[in-house]
Amino acid sequence: MVERNVAERADYLSKRRARMLPFLAVIFLSQQGTYFATPDHSPHSADSVKIAAWLVLSAILVAALATKGFWLQPKEIRDLIDDENTRANRLDGMRWGFLFAMAAGVAVYFLTMFEQVTAREAVHIIMSAGIAAALVRWGLLERRAHQDG
Amino acid sequence: MAERLANKIKQRRGELGLTQSELAEQVGVTRKTVNTVENGVFTPSATLAIKLAQALGLSVEQLFWIER
Repeated sequence: MVERNVAERADYLSKRRARMLPFLAVIFLSQQGTYFATPDHSPHSADSVKIAAWLVLSAILVAALATKGFWLQPKEIRDLIDDENTRANRLDGMRWGFLFAMAAGVAVYFLTMFEQVTAREAVHIIMSAGIAAALVRWGLLERRAHQDG
Repeated sequence: MAERLANKIKQRRGELGLTQSELAEQVGVTRKTVNTVENGVFTPSATLAIKLAQALGLSVEQLFWIER
């Protein structure tokens, strides 16, 4: 049996995450808009900060997708939040992320036939498509799961 | 032909006067998971199905059945 306050806290955090996931995807994608709006992507440009920020956010989001998340919460709450239904939703989100990343890879491949695409741009596009799709899918499934009846 | 796992969790919960949160606490999951199983959105694992049946005082076969 789970303690009442732990269960309530887990439910609260789970609902908050469901609301946050699509929002995070929008923030993440808007970062890509900023990146591609800047023409100079040389390694020594001032863009390095933006690129580093994107890479850090990407790593955090991938870690959140691949693990239970809520790293600062006690273990019992983390275990409860990552229960059976959440794991299923998270895995489905990752499945969508993988498919979108592959589709983006195919799109980039065709794009290179008509336009020069740097390796860094290709990585940006593929990772962005995969991570954003996974976040949106997971968020939608979690929101649906929280809806009553 | 499409098959779905139907259940009488809601009915049984009502008979026992349990809320989704109380049932969730008993089986060690969040209310969300009980909600999705109850509504047929999520198919539970065998482990969770047994825990739910035990908490509601029924056998798994009494609690869940396949609807065609």
